[in-house]
Parts: sequence; C-alpha cells; structure tokens
Amino acid sequence: MKTRIDSVDDVMLSFARQGYICDQRTALAVYLAAQLHKPVLVEGPPGVGKTELAKAAAAFLEAPLIRLQCYEGLDESRALYEWKYGKQLLYTQLLRDKLSGTLADTDSLEESMRRLGDLGEAFYSDTFLEPRPLLRALRADEPVVLLIDEIDKADQEFEAFLLELLSDFQISIPELGTVRARHQPLVFLTSNDQRELSDALKRRCLHLYIPYPDAPLERRILAERVPELDEQLRDQLVDFIQHLREQDMKKLPAVSETLDWARALVLLHADSLEPELVEQTLTLVLKNEQDAELARELLPHWFRARRAR
Amino acid sequence: MARRRLHEFVRALRGAGVRISPAEAEEAMRAAALVGYGDKNRFRETLALTLVKSEEERPDFDRCFETFFRFEDQQPGEQGPAEDAAEPATPTPPDAEGLSPQAAELAAQSDTQLEQSLAQAAAEIDFTAMQVITQQGLFARRLLMNMGMGAVDDEILRLDASQRPGDGERAEALRDWRGRVRERAMAHVRRQYDLHGRAHGRALREHSMQAAPFRELREFQQVQVLVRRMARRLARSHQRRQKKARRGELDARRTLADSLRYNAVPVHLHWRQRRRTRAKVLVVCDVSSSVRDAARFLLQFLYAMTDVLPRVRSFAFAARFDEVTEDFERYPPDVAVGRILDRVSGSGTDYGTMFKELEEACRGDIDQNTTLIILGDARNNDLPAGERHLADIARRARQVFWLNPEPPSRWNSGDAIMARYLPYCRAARRCGSLNDLSRFTDELLRGLN
Repeated sequence: MKTRIDSVDDVMLSFARQGYICDQRTALAVYLAAQLHKPVLVEGPPGVGKTELAKAAAAFLEAPLIRLQCYEGLDESRALYEWKYGKQLLYTQLLRDKLSGTLADTDSLEESMRRLGDLGEAFYSDTFLEPRPLLRALRADEPVVLLIDEIDKADQEFEAFLLELLSDFQISIPELGTVRARHQPLVFLTSNDQRELSDALKRRCLHLYIPYPDAPLERRILAERVPELDEQLRDQLVDFIQHLREQDMKKLPAVSETLDWARALVLLHADSLEPELVEQTLTLVLKNEQDAELARELLPHWFRARRAR
Repeated sequence: MARRRLHEFVRALRGAGVRISPAEAEEAMRAAALVGYGDKNRFRETLALTLVKSEEERPDFDRCFETFFRFEDQQPGEQGPAEDAAEPATPTPPDAEGLSPQAAELAAQSDTQLEQSLAQAAAEIDFTAMQVITQQGLFARRLLMNMGMGAVDDEILRLDASQRPGDGERAEALRDWRGRVRERAMAHVRRQYDLHGRAHGRALREHSMQAAPFRELREFQQVQVLVRRMARRLARSHQRRQKKARRGELDARRTLADSLRYNAVPVHLHWRQRRRTRAKVLVVCDVSSSVRDAARFLLQFLYAMTDVLPRVRSFAFAARFDEVTEDFERYPPDVAVGRILDRVSGSGTDYGTMFKELEEACRGDIDQNTTLIILGDARNNDLPAGERHLADIARRARQVFWLNPEPPSRWNSGDAIMARYLPYCRAARRCGSLNDLSRFTDELLRGLN
C-alpha cells in the first residue's frame, strides 16, 4: 500500500486517472481519512458512486479491497469469523482411534482430562477458524481498504458491535482474545439513509455526503466514462437529466443511470436527443412507471424550452 | 491562537444546535492543522467533514462558518465587505494633528487597518461568556478599550476643556469619529452575540417552550423545529427498543421435545419469538377552537414518527366528523391543519354523534391491536353523551386513551362530561404542553412495542 499521500490534489488526480471524477470534498475526505486513520461514513442517494469511491481509493492506495455487504440479520458469524464445524467434526471422527490411543495409558480420570484439555486447544485454533471479511481485514499482511456497504441495512446490534473495530481497529473474540489490526485498514461505510445511524457510530467517522452531481461535474464524468458520446449530445443529455432531478419523482435518476443511457445512445448511433428516441429509451433512466409517465409529459415542454434557448 | 479560535467556533456550532463531542473537536483541530488554513473552501470542507455528522446540520454549519470567520476573510489591502449593507459607514479619519501619539496613531488608521485592529482586539476577548442580550454594550466597551480607544476619550476631554480656538470643533469631529468606530464595534459584538449568546438564550427558550401551554406556543417561531426534534428523539429511542424486543429467548420446552428425536441431543434450537403485533393507532381530535392547538401538535408528533408508528389513522371533528389521515400524510402540518379546519370547523361539538360515526367509519379496523386516542375537552354542549358507542369501541379495541388539554379540576365543570367517558378509558391524561405530549407519546410507544 502506498504509505505517503502528498496532498488532496494528489488524491484527486489519481482518481481522475482511474476515471473516478469527484469534487474536492470527496478527495479531501479520502485524504483526511488516510492521514487521521479515521473511517469515512459516506451517505447520499443511491447511484452516486459511494461504493465506487471505496474501489477508487483502494486502487489509489494500491491496497486490496475487502467488502462486507450488510443486510438485515447480519451477525458476527457472517461478518467476523466462524468455526469450521464440519471440519472439526470430521477431525474428531478421524482421530477417534488416535484419541483412544492417547488415553489408553492413563489410569486416572484427571490425567485423561488433562490430555483432552491440551487437545481442546487444538480444536479452537487457526486451522478451524473461518475468517470473514472483518477479521480478514484485521489480519491482512498489508494494509487494506475495508468497505462496509449499506450499513443502514444491518441491525442496530451489529452497528454497536462495529464500534470497537472503528475506534480502536481491534475486535474481541471470546476463544482467541483480542485481535488487533496488524495494519490499520482504511474503512469506508456507506449508507442510503434507510434508517438513522446511531450517534456513537457517526462520532467515530468522518462524514461525507455525496449529492447528485451538478451539471459541470456530471458532464466531466460523462466525458471520462463514455468518451465516444458526441459532445453536443452530452450537453443535451446532462441538461435533461438535471431537469429530471428537479422533478418530484419516486426515484430520481442517478449517475449510474446517466451512464447507462449515454452508452445506449452511443450504441444507437444517436447524434441528438429527439423526442422519439427519448421516449423509447426512457426506461433506462427512470425505473418507475409513474416517473416515466411524468417525464413523458414533461418532454415536449423541455424540448420547446430548449429550442427557444 | 488558532486552537482557541477553533474551540470558540465549536462552541458557536454547539450553540446552533450541532452536537459535537470533545473528541470530534480534537479531530477537527488535527485535520485543520493537516490541511492548513490557506484555502478557505478547503478549510471549511475539512471542518465540515469532521464536525458535521448529518446533511441536515450542514446549513447550520455553513451559516455559523460564514458569521464566525468573517474577519479572517479580509486580506490586508482588500476592501471591507462592501456587499453588507448593514455595515456602518466607513469612518473618515479625523485630523490627527496635535493629538497624543496613541490617539493619533489610531485616528490615522485607514479603514482596513482599523478593521484589523478591531479584529485583533476582538481576538483577546472571550465572547463565549456573553449570555444575555443586554451584555452587548459592556462587551463593545471592552472591545474599544482593547483597541486603545481610551486614549481617544482622553483627547476628547482635553480638547473640550481647552480654551484654544478651533479645539471645540476638533473635539466634535473626534467625537463623531469615535461614534462611528463604536458602531462598528457594536456590529461585531452583535455578530458574536448571534453566535454565542443566542445559544444560551435558545436553550432557555426551548425549556420554556416545552412547558408552555399550547395556546401560547404560537408566539414562538422555532416551535416547529423543536417539535420535530423532540419527536425524532423519541422515535429514535423507541426504534432501539423495538428491535431489541424482537430478539427471542430460547424456548426450552420446544427444544427439549424436539431433541428426543435425536437421542436428547438438541440439534434444532427453537427460539421463543415474541409475536410482533402490528399496532394500529386511531386518533380522534376535537378541533373546535378551544382544543385546536393541542390537536395540531399531537398530530404533528404522531406523524413525525412514521417509522415506529407505521399505521396511524386520524380523524378530526368539530361541527362535522371526517378522516384526515391523507391531509397529514401529504401536506406539512400547518397546511394540513388549515385544510382540515375548512372542512370540519363550526361550533357545537357533539361527542355522542362523533363516537357513533367513528364506530361506523372504522368498523373493520377496530380489533385487539387497535389503540384509540381521543383528544378533546369533553364539552358536549349538553347533548346526549352517547357513551354507549364508546363502550362498544373500547370493548373491541385494545385500549382507549383520553387526552384533555384542560387541568383535571375542570374536566367535569360546566358542560364537560369527562366522568361519563372515563370508565371506558385505560387512562386519561392532561395534555396541555409539549412536555405532557412527549411524556404521553413515550408511554404509548412503550406500551405498543
């Protein structure tokens, strides 16, 4: 992993080179997180590139990315570690003969207990430990970027469980004791604001809010990701998307939708936005029928206004 | 120096309602030191990243930041903030000739220099000690003294006393100049009061708002914000409880019975799961003029917690009775109340008829999961009480609560007939202030989850 980050501009440049265009605020967050060893809580509407940010940061720092996807009911055995029960059972079966051999020459109960006790340790050792993402991140040989995706989907208990990890980069496992991070990972948490996160969690993180991009930023993103798209068409497209975002819709189009649409237009060899074309491809941008209907109503107005300009 | 300024800024932010822990403040210092103070935008974003923990607080932060770091804005040689119309006019420096060196130095300062000495003098004063609005004069005076204006005062006195011709006019000019500088200082102190003193005042005001009778609440401007915040806080604490109650404990009986199949090895564990009842809440509000304010706050409270109370149906009645669920779901509380009043207002509340209509309107919706909340003063205008209908509803519903905005001593005075309805209510509470309301909602949620 890259250990030195010179400046915020350094981050921004590297991100741009990977095709992740961001504003200064986002680059600043990554810079501060790496320098202060603080997790970043990334919030924002879906599809603005929260997960992408973690990927870009991993590429920038030349560190592997470990991802933990959260969902309701996620618990420690899925997130942290689990014992390989099957292997343990198999081993006890296979070792049964060996076991009776070991115990054959003991004459007292205490002696057998002691020998079994020694053995017991072996069953709760690394051989039978199945590390899950969090433990993998802590025990990695090199610093990693850890992405805890959609933390708002996990239960409140899990959030509380994360606190130790986020503030001290360590986690307590009853059978093994406290596992401290060999190298402090750079942690990103993302949230779609499905429920309010606890103050304790927020306190431990830097807070970054990524809004929908404004027109210039979105144009830059499009130019970078879909360079084949004609420049004039790009302006039109961004203009239209920005217009849609001002409407009262169930699900507003995000950057990912803009990109999808742009790619589709390239495939269709379109060179300007025509009402007919928009109508046919609208479902790429708006995933809700009511929204699409509203957009169809808006279309003529928008075209008229645009022509007038 | 920078540390102290930042600490003051953190205090100002806390005053604006942003919650910041000492550890976060410390973090912000480290971050700021790392990024530097040169680029104002970057500096602001750095502080925002470390201090602001939700997007809702961002506007407060931006406002605070702009007010707080105003002086730092002005680079030497640059003109003062010309766009600010409230700024007192630039004092024209008076004739410095023949003054004492200290006073002469001050009087000779250009506008920008003056602004800077003001800023320097201000930095030495701890404005966070300012708590009430009347302290502003004192602090302005202290600020001027720090600037060395004492020397100017002495000069004015000396010129006044002097017999030389022309000294009288010069004293006048100097006094004029001093007045304008003082205005500047006052403007600065006012800004500082906005940042620091307000916080103290606001805490005090919120405290009194929570205890004030609903009727008087209309005079407070910030009440909407406060209500929303109280409701959110309550909802958050109950969200936790709700999740916790969902976890089951081991059902020993079923686990043991099941284990018999496997030679008494408990292969399958069974958990006792608390059945989550889907609580339904029906609210009926009297919106005649005497109770209207309480009704507005109760509904606002309940609808601010849709994530813990997903199913609320509300009804309003005065002259007529109507369902108002949709109004509150679709419009902000103020608009909703207006719409509702248009529909149902009038004089002569009739509780008996209301209960009858309520029973008809939600016959299918009243079962053992239903909680009915009635808000009203039970002033029935000497009409038939109709408690038979309430009895019917109470029998089928899980519980009935009655909220009365009046003190218990008046529940049965005049045409009020609380006593006729009380036997069918699980509890009747007085609900005359936000505190009462918050306490009741807390109790309600505790019982429901």
